[in-house]
Amino acid sequence: MDDGALTDRPPTGPSPDSVPDPSAGSQSQLGSRSLPWSGRRRRRRRRSDPAAVPAFVLAVAVAALTLVPVIYVVLGGFTSTAQLAEDPVGMPDPWMTGNYGSVLSSARFWRQLGNSLLIALLATGLVVAVGSLAAFAVSRYVFRGRELVYTVFTLGLLFPVGVAILPLYLMLRELHLLDNPLGVAVPQAAFSIPVTIVVLRPFMAAVPNELEDAAAIDGCSGFAFFWRILLPLSRPALTTVSVLAFVTSWNAYLLPLLVLNDEQQHTLPLGTAMFSTQYTQDTARVLAFTALSMVPALVFFVLAERRIVGGLTGAVKG
Amino acid sequence: MATVTFDKATRIYPGSTKPAVDSLDLKIEDGEFLVLVGPSGCGKSTSLRMLAGLEDINAGRVFIGARDVTPVPPKDRDIAMVFQSYALYPHMTVADNMGFALKIAGVPKSEIRQRVMEAAKILDLTQYLDRKPKALSGGQRQRVAMGRAIVRKPQVFLMDEPLSNLDAKLRVSTRTQIASLQRRLGVTTVYVTHDQIEAMTMGDRVAVLQDGLLMQVGTPRYLYEHPDNVFVAGFMGSPAMNLLDMSIVDGGVLLGDIVWPVDRSILAKTTGSKITVGMRPEDLEMAEHGIAVQVDLVEELGADAYIYGRLVGTDVPIIARADGRRPPHKGSTVHLRPKPEHVHLFDTASGLRLGA
Repeated sequence: MDDGALTDRPPTGPSPDSVPDPSAGSQSQLGSRSLPWSGRRRRRRRRSDPAAVPAFVLAVAVAALTLVPVIYVVLGGFTSTAQLAEDPVGMPDPWMTGNYGSVLSSARFWRQLGNSLLIALLATGLVVAVGSLAAFAVSRYVFRGRELVYTVFTLGLLFPVGVAILPLYLMLRELHLLDNPLGVAVPQAAFSIPVTIVVLRPFMAAVPNELEDAAAIDGCSGFAFFWRILLPLSRPALTTVSVLAFVTSWNAYLLPLLVLNDEQQHTLPLGTAMFSTQYTQDTARVLAFTALSMVPALVFFVLAERRIVGGLTGAVKG
Repeated sequence: MATVTFDKATRIYPGSTKPAVDSLDLKIEDGEFLVLVGPSGCGKSTSLRMLAGLEDINAGRVFIGARDVTPVPPKDRDIAMVFQSYALYPHMTVADNMGFALKIAGVPKSEIRQRVMEAAKILDLTQYLDRKPKALSGGQRQRVAMGRAIVRKPQVFLMDEPLSNLDAKLRVSTRTQIASLQRRLGVTTVYVTHDQIEAMTMGDRVAVLQDGLLMQVGTPRYLYEHPDNVFVAGFMGSPAMNLLDMSIVDGGVLLGDIVWPVDRSILAKTTGSKITVGMRPEDLEMAEHGIAVQVDLVEELGADAYIYGRLVGTDVPIIARADGRRPPHKGSTVHLRPKPEHVHLFDTASGLRLGA
């Protein structure tokens, strides 16, 4: 329901990173099976392990599948449309920076970048604030209906934006939030809450009870424990959910399309789509614009990638 | 500094009908080191957590000093607690961990720093103040947990098995350190342990609990010499006291081929035909006559040897201490008799002590 090409792209980030994991897994299994040998010897053994070969081939194939389109787009931006027409898969010859230059010097690109950034930050801030409090409640308190509440939250994972879009639109119109960044950011935060709670809950539940007791005796109860102990300890998981929320918001197309009619308010995905209809003939320039529009999310993801994996796998040791 | 009083304090966990702690009556003197000891599930930790305010009190009351703290939340009870897992905040440095309670209480930074330094000096932690708990050894973490308690200068220290995560050697040295630190600071301390050796060596007084009931309170020496019932008799001391059900005969109790004289007034208090005789391993000596014992194993410890055996013709185990230079041989049969004045008599049916 979202536009295919645009939403798919930045999530390409995780796949090349996560795919080597199976092979890493088999390596560490091997490592644990073997006695503490020297590193060199273990490596040799690892390489000759026939079981790792299919995993390696698969990893390369998936990496190629996800990386090739991105590389094509980035390289395509350095060509001219004439070059592309002549040799669609060739390297740029000569390398031309004009397309990137013209995009980077246009006010429109920077305005849309700013809009995207504002909405993504708003949505992320909201979902982290609200989601962490909700996760705190369902992870550290025992109350009647707790599992039901949690189930309702997780069911939200299965709820596509597309289904809700019409009633949501009507609601936003009632609230006079159309053509307002909040009209995009608030629903986006709401849609990110399920994954936030699903990631945060086990993390917060893993914080030992004795730590909560110690905090209670030291003088913090309830919210102070959440704020001073639980949140700092959940930082890896908070990073994970922030990145997920940010990237989701960054790539969103359908919701901004319906909510933001004023071109001044357009986000980058909308801008990219507008740009490609406007310059249909100038493929190279569209490629350059597209490439630039995914840079911020990619950079954000690359910076946070290690923490994300930690947030999904790690827990706190008391 | 304050006294601590449990007044019929009871805790029943939700979903359970049997109290985890059953109307506990206990008065702890100002500056006293009291050890709560008992097997796991006896309610000792629950009692401590009731005093801390971490556990609701379903009936009865708890006082710190003259103040009824039953409805008071933990932070307002003026107590500090050392946990078994230490419960240090992993994201804070040692100094921040120790000063956290003061920071929450709004104590000025300079005073926090000064009090943390004081405590760190006492515990030999000054060089670790900037480290995170992760970068410390088990013993150091334990000291930080102690430091966190000391810094607050509370009315009462609560310690929940603070040594059980240390290795055996460190446990012994830390044991004496904690005891001497407590004497020096003079702060009323309630200490929970399942280890009766810790209880014996550290406490001014020891309270023995079983199944939520207080079995006996007293100085370690008194508990050792005058256990009120078979549970305390068997729990305190290592190796444990031998508790044998013996037949009552005219004028005393039959111990093998001798009649051990027992006062008629004591025998009159029991109705059955048997009486439980308690004898500590070190109070048994080899003799010509007495309880015939088949020796299964001799544990030689140098100065002493322990005989592990069975009453001849039965499976009833018995342990006795023997001279380390002349221990009996494995497989032989020996006769054991108790030293006078060191025989404990209990009612077999009720388990209660008979006589003085």
